[in-house]
Amino acid sequence: MYAPFELDIPTDLPGALAALANGAGETVLPIAGGTNLIVDIRARRERPDRMVGLGEVDELKGMEFGPERIAIGGRTTVSDLLRAPEIAREAPALIDAARLFGGLMVRNTGTVAGNIASGSPAADLVPPLLTLDAELTLASANATRTMALDDYYLGYKEDARTPDELITRIAWPRLPANAVNSFYKLARRKGDAITVTGVAVTLAAADGRCTRARIALCSVAPVVFRARQAEALLEGRALTPALIDEAAAEAAAAARPIDDIRASADYRRHTALALTRRLVGQAWDRLA
Amino acid sequence: MSRTESDAGARPNVQFRQVGKPLTRTDAPGKVTGRTPYAGDYVMPNTLHMRVLRADVASARLTRLDVSKARALKGVACVLTAADMPDRTSATDIPGQTGQKRLDTDQPILVKDRVRYFGEPLALIAAETRDIADHAAELIEFELEPIPGVYDPLEALKPGAALVYGADNIVAERKIRKGDIEAGFAEADLVIENTYKTPFQEHAFLEPEVGLAWVDENDVVNIRVSTQVIEHFRPIADAIGVPHNKVRVRGALVGGGFGGKEDLTVEVYLALLAKHTGRPVRLEYSREDSFVGHGKRHPFVLTYRTGVTNEGKITAMDVQMIADAGAYVFLSPYVVLYALVAAPGPYRVDNLNVFARAVATNNMYTSAFRGFGALQACAAYEQQMDEIAGTLGIDRLELRRRNFLKTGEPMSTGFVPPSAIWTEQCAEQAWAALGEPAPVQGPIRTGRGLACYQQSYGRLTFLHDTSEAWVGVEMDGTVVVRSGVTDIGAGQISALGQIAVEVLGVTLDNVVIYNSDSAVTPLAGTTTATRALYMTGNAAKQAAETLRARLVERAAREFGVEAGDVDMAFNEVFVIDRPEKTMPLVNLVRICAAEGIHRSELAIFRAPFGDFLDPETGQGQAHPDYAYGAHAVEVSVDVETGEVEVLKSIAAHDVGQCINPAAVEGQIQGGAQNGQGYALSEEMLYEEGRLVTPSFSEYLMPTAMDMPRVECIILESRSGVGPFGAKGIGEPAMTAVAPAIANAVADAIGVRVFEMPITPERVVRALQQRDAS
Ligand SMILES: Cc1cc2nc3c(=O)[nH]c(=O)nc-3n(C[C@H](O)[C@H](O)[C@H](O)COP(=O)(O)OP(=O)(O)OC[C@H]3O[C@@H](n4cnc5c(N)ncnc54)[C@H](O)[C@@H]3O)c2cc1C
Repeated sequence: MYAPFELDIPTDLPGALAALANGAGETVLPIAGGTNLIVDIRARRERPDRMVGLGEVDELKGMEFGPERIAIGGRTTVSDLLRAPEIAREAPALIDAARLFGGLMVRNTGTVAGNIASGSPAADLVPPLLTLDAELTLASANATRTMALDDYYLGYKEDARTPDELITRIAWPRLPANAVNSFYKLARRKGDAITVTGVAVTLAAADGRCTRARIALCSVAPVVFRARQAEALLEGRALTPALIDEAAAEAAAAARPIDDIRASADYRRHTALALTRRLVGQAWDRLA
Repeated sequence: MSRTESDAGARPNVQFRQVGKPLTRTDAPGKVTGRTPYAGDYVMPNTLHMRVLRADVASARLTRLDVSKARALKGVACVLTAADMPDRTSATDIPGQTGQKRLDTDQPILVKDRVRYFGEPLALIAAETRDIADHAAELIEFELEPIPGVYDPLEALKPGAALVYGADNIVAERKIRKGDIEAGFAEADLVIENTYKTPFQEHAFLEPEVGLAWVDENDVVNIRVSTQVIEHFRPIADAIGVPHNKVRVRGALVGGGFGGKEDLTVEVYLALLAKHTGRPVRLEYSREDSFVGHGKRHPFVLTYRTGVTNEGKITAMDVQMIADAGAYVFLSPYVVLYALVAAPGPYRVDNLNVFARAVATNNMYTSAFRGFGALQACAAYEQQMDEIAGTLGIDRLELRRRNFLKTGEPMSTGFVPPSAIWTEQCAEQAWAALGEPAPVQGPIRTGRGLACYQQSYGRLTFLHDTSEAWVGVEMDGTVVVRSGVTDIGAGQISALGQIAVEVLGVTLDNVVIYNSDSAVTPLAGTTTATRALYMTGNAAKQAAETLRARLVERAAREFGVEAGDVDMAFNEVFVIDRPEKTMPLVNLVRICAAEGIHRSELAIFRAPFGDFLDPETGQGQAHPDYAYGAHAVEVSVDVETGEVEVLKSIAAHDVGQCINPAAVEGQIQGGAQNGQGYALSEEMLYEEGRLVTPSFSEYLMPTAMDMPRVECIILESRSGVGPFGAKGIGEPAMTAVAPAIANAVADAIGVRVFEMPITPERVVRALQQRDAS
């Protein structure tokens, strides 16, 4: 049984932001695909008084492929990503994640901003976006600001967004010339399953050295996070198996996993290490 | 798909016109176009909507239950608790005809004072809308005072364990004592002992439990419900306290059963509230209700001690099995009986001891599930065969060959199955079809596994099973079949049609089948135990043959020939090899009608009636016959993450005679998926009896992305006791899949995971333990 709620369906961005702004005394939530929110409402984890549907807000759709940067609207669906050949070239990790994301129905309706804003530690699109140095545009009725995705999460299901803000755009710089970007989703089955351990990696190289290292992990801590110490070990160096092992151990040490019905904390730590080592190793092999 | 026909030892091939062809099933067009109504699609004016309120702990005393606020809510028509009904229980001991019942262990319809499992029903609500019923459920106040429970069958057997009911927690004990076990072990060069564990499993049918009930003008309670067993009308009548002829169960095409709709589900609740309110009532389980609302597959702990010679010949086998029966009896005594009989598998073991027990716990009750105990036995004996082969250094197929039970040899109970035993042919073909092995890459290892099985078809012979079918020819030559059999999605009724039209020489589009109505279609028994084709198929064949004989006799007179010279095909009746002597079937039917010759026939088929197995030795005939086959797989295992991928899945089954190869393949494909989930990913986790994986986001069946292409090899020995020599495929399709996968994983990584499901984490742990030792 659903508790009753009001539903606004604005037809443009100012309308949507206005609808979010005048929510004094009520719980107002934006709803995009609803693939998180409806589940939460049904389970009574969320009880909005009013929801603002984003389905008709065209400003939140679309992708731009600039000479330096790529930007996608917050309402871009997972299937939209899979249909864009440029994304496959410029953000292969995002495609790795999108291909194993939910089932077809969820991919057709679930959105990138919804994935980010859900704050789930198991949000699959977030590690790839972190390794791409993605930046978010947050807009409210009176202001627009940008922030690094890396600064967005404050704690378990806590983020920097104010209730009247929308994630309108997600943007990231094009990958440097000699770079590899990949994501691995480990789950209890291939199709339609919640990630047990997810690892994304970006590695760039020049002159036999690693010029950029980004490692991000999901489902192994209260928030999706970047393994900065592991990255620091790799950047500026020529990678060796021993160094890669060390970085992988760093990444696993940065994890703060829990035991749950899908896996134990030990297993998550074990696979965080194994997968980081594997992804970094494979990337380095391809760059060499 | 490939098919291998009969060779030496089996009956000769027969020329079929309809049977054995992959015809479009009679139920297909309606389903594909969405016109088929399922039980949940039926509506009636003035219907009330129901909700079941359930206990949220597994072991407790109900100290307070106050429904006054719920009753006072506007739009609530009725709230029932145990206080509102006499001390009635609802039994699903053995559905159908036997009338056996054990009162002390039957489940109370609603909790009176003691809660024994998580989800046990406390109250029934009927309201004008579902929302009101849900709201009413929230207004019911209850207090449950926890009682220490027991959640592990091994714990439940210990002295001083919490009692679920009765004097001890033992629900059933069965034994086989065959040959001389001591001598057998003395003869052995080697004794190998291992313990295997199998898990709970959820049926996860697409269509959760649903039904609609109303009281008609004759005071008969009618229930339109998704069920495998319309003959529950009798226990339903007993439970609500009306005569048996005052309950009518009308099935519908069922969106999956797998044993989960073999017991009563929503029927008694519906009947009670229809009776109490005098209005139509509807109850539809959500997926979450379904997870806690019906019994699961029994988890088993199986210890196999096998004596073998250095040449790989089994000399003795001692098997101990413990099954978790959960909080109520349901079909547990029969499930362990099946496991007992299946214990040695399709192998000749002359010195055999088996001891199988079902033990009560405060877990969810367990009952029927495709494979019914025999599948759990297979999961263990086939892993044990690989362990033996590995220890002796004998090829795994060769080891099996040296021990296979052969046609005409006595099985575990001393009974000689009447049909051909083609395990070896099936195993060889499945194994060979694996072809070239996939390459090994880095941390990805590959391995292969084989498993063979013996699975009964038809119910236990001491149940004295019968089935009826009626076949008639209309005045225009079209055919009608009537039989109470339920169709749970496997094509049960279409097969009856195919059999009837084969015999009567018409085509499948000329038949209409009426089924699944306990009041007006001849009672055919349950669609369980891989019995529908065997039992009802034989009944339909018998009816059609008697009718055909009558028609042919009249035609022979018309043609002036002997009856043996007349044949019927493609809606014509003719004299064999005399093309000028022919007439349309419709003309013959008109002649018969004009002369009052009976154009229909009701037949009853009786399975072999037997006595209960000897209680001390377990010797005797348990089932009418057995099916045999094999499953082979190739897997890859990531030794770092423990992920298992099934790369090839090949099934080879002797189905006796294929009635519809497309339907047979459907069963095999589904069985491969069902067994793969059981082996690898499906996991029901209970914490103190509370299900913590109550939805499809936690309970993971293989998706299309997880399944390889499943190859089906269909063998036809034409030796079975079903129609035209058919055996059965419903349960057999699944039985050997999981152990084949377990064996392939062990082959890939060199260490065995003794507990299913073989999760990535268990694989990693097994590897770590090996490396540590
Ligand atoms: C069956 C199933 C399978 C799934 N599989 C996966 C999977 O494999 N991987 C995975 O990561 N997730 C998965 N999910 C979760 C979910 O689909 C994703 O997180 C999805 O991206 C959410 O997007 P949405 O548009 O549906 O969000 P919604 O449910 O509409 O919203 C989610 C949250 O974000 C907020 N929100 C939405 N849009 C915006 C915006 N523009 N600005 C600010 N806040 C916003 C909402 O208020 C809400 O709090 C699955 C869900 C289901 C039901």
